Amino acid sequence: MKVLESAPYRYDRGIKILTLGRITKSYDRIIENIQENDRVLDIGCGTGMLSFRAILKGAHVTGFDINPEMLSIAEKRAKELDAKDKLVLIEMGVAEIDSFEKNEFDIVMSGLCFSELSIDETNFVLDKIKGIIKSGGLLLIADEVKPQSILKRIMHFLIRIPLVIFTYILTQTTSRAISGLEQKVESAGYIITATKRNFLGNFIELVARYEESDV
Amino acid sequence: MKFTNFLYYVFINIVETLIRFFPVPTKTGCRKIGSPDQDSPVFLTCNFHLTVLRVKRALRGIDCYLLVANSKGINVWCASAGGLLNNHSVISIIKTSGIEEKVEHKKIILPQLAAPGIEANEIKKKTGWNVIWGPADAKDIPSFLKKNFVKTTEMNSIRFSIIQRIEVASMWAFMISIILTIIWLPLFLRETPAMLIQVWYISLVVFLLFPLYEPLLRLRKRLLFVNLGRILVFLIILFSAAVGIVIYVFAIKQYEKWLLIRWCIFSVSVVILIMIDLAGTTPVIKSGLLEERTFSIAIEKEKCEGTGICIQVCPRNCYELNSKTNKIRMINAELCVRCGACIVQCPFDVLYFKNEKGQVISPDNVRKFKLNLMGKRDCCIACKISNQLIKA
Repeated sequence: MKVLESAPYRYDRGIKILTLGRITKSYDRIIENIQENDRVLDIGCGTGMLSFRAILKGAHVTGFDINPEMLSIAEKRAKELDAKDKLVLIEMGVAEIDSFEKNEFDIVMSGLCFSELSIDETNFVLDKIKGIIKSGGLLLIADEVKPQSILKRIMHFLIRIPLVIFTYILTQTTSRAISGLEQKVESAGYIITATKRNFLGNFIELVARYEESDV
Repeated sequence: MKFTNFLYYVFINIVETLIRFFPVPTKTGCRKIGSPDQDSPVFLTCNFHLTVLRVKRALRGIDCYLLVANSKGINVWCASAGGLLNNHSVISIIKTSGIEEKVEHKKIILPQLAAPGIEANEIKKKTGWNVIWGPADAKDIPSFLKKNFVKTTEMNSIRFSIIQRIEVASMWAFMISIILTIIWLPLFLRETPAMLIQVWYISLVVFLLFPLYEPLLRLRKRLLFVNLGRILVFLIILFSAAVGIVIYVFAIKQYEKWLLIRWCIFSVSVVILIMIDLAGTTPVIKSGLLEERTFSIAIEKEKCEGTGICIQVCPRNCYELNSKTNKIRMINAELCVRCGACIVQCPFDVLYFKNEKGQVISPDNVRKFKLNLMGKRDCCIACKISNQLIKA
């Protein structure tokens, strides 16, 4: 969603329009997995669309993103919501995720971030999360994915064309939907407990659990 | 096989030069060149497809690793100055590509033109890897290696060679051709081929004549509200376009009023379109659309420790180290393209942007806000807004 990232102050509204309001419901649903006082890490937190939902549920959130402007908007919002003591914001990329402590988080979540990552980065992140999440902790992902059935792939492709052209003209960049997210999560050693795809199959809400093996 | 490889190289070069306005991303990751071992050099480049292809060609015969970092499919200089090829791209590719298991050293050779966007100090701090600034042009890599990582003045400098000028002209001409064909073809079918020739002719004239009128573009003198030099260049190009029209009218022997008007309108439009940011299209004069076009580099001499890093990253060879005082000074300030590489890399914050009104853009601000074409630094409206957001 590069077109929106380049104008952070329009990001939230833009995302809502483009996903026809779906994103709000998706994020609300995925946040239901968070309990009060959970320690939560938000990967690619941006303006804090997921972070603030988690804070409202009583969680303590650490969010990081590479975009300093999005972070400054998140910071401003934290002030408005009087939630500064519940939110820690860090400007860094996913490759630095191993800088957190072991067992530092109960929940690791990410909204619309994995689709910005390369395959190497995705595998790296999924692997390193295991070092910072407690055993039995949850991994929550809401993101754009490639649909599974061929028919839906074609529909997804046709719907995406105008959007891709539009973003390309405006910002000369584009985002990619992830393929095989479930397989990657499973082969990284997580147990997927729930997935929900939308009708077109191009947006996923994924909940996975990490159990530390005794070996 | 080698011949087919060459054909592929030529084909991709032509196609991607024509569509140079748009990014063409390729897969990020670690590429092996030849048969590298744990001591082989490690190079880094952006993930613009054409750049990767050209760098790989320049690296032929050298056993090494090439890390292709994410720059959203944009070339090194534009991406680094625009904030897309940044610290995070480099940290990410070092840590996720598996290069740390493949080599025993921690030295990475970065393209010099990535210096506006990547902070060598940060890379060292976050990954332990040492940045070596390579040559500005990948073609110089073999002699850079032979000289044991020492760069000559030629290797440092960015040029605007005749081939590069033809490339830029083709990029403009191709884009305009497509747009004009769509408009013209249904209206004036028989005129379209001649019109396309005119478009290519104007574009080539603009960029082939560039060395002749380059001094004019650097003129600071203003006439009313516009830059005198630019007006003169505009008139020269306009005159060349008029020559094209006259040749066409004589060739078809039709002296019709509407034909002339229509050709004048489209020719002038093409000239204006190319001229809007002619300086910014060249790598040797700073874009006239940039916020800091009125700024120049200021030096806090007493802070300078004589590291000479600015000399290494300046693509215009603006700096010189005074061997007596061990301080840098600007010997070619008029050549500066304000890429900000020196400001970003200086470990002692010796350099910053300053304009005649005394306004200053601090080094931290230059490091933080890269995409300044959108006006994000603190001297401009957009930034005032975001500053207010931060303060609020």
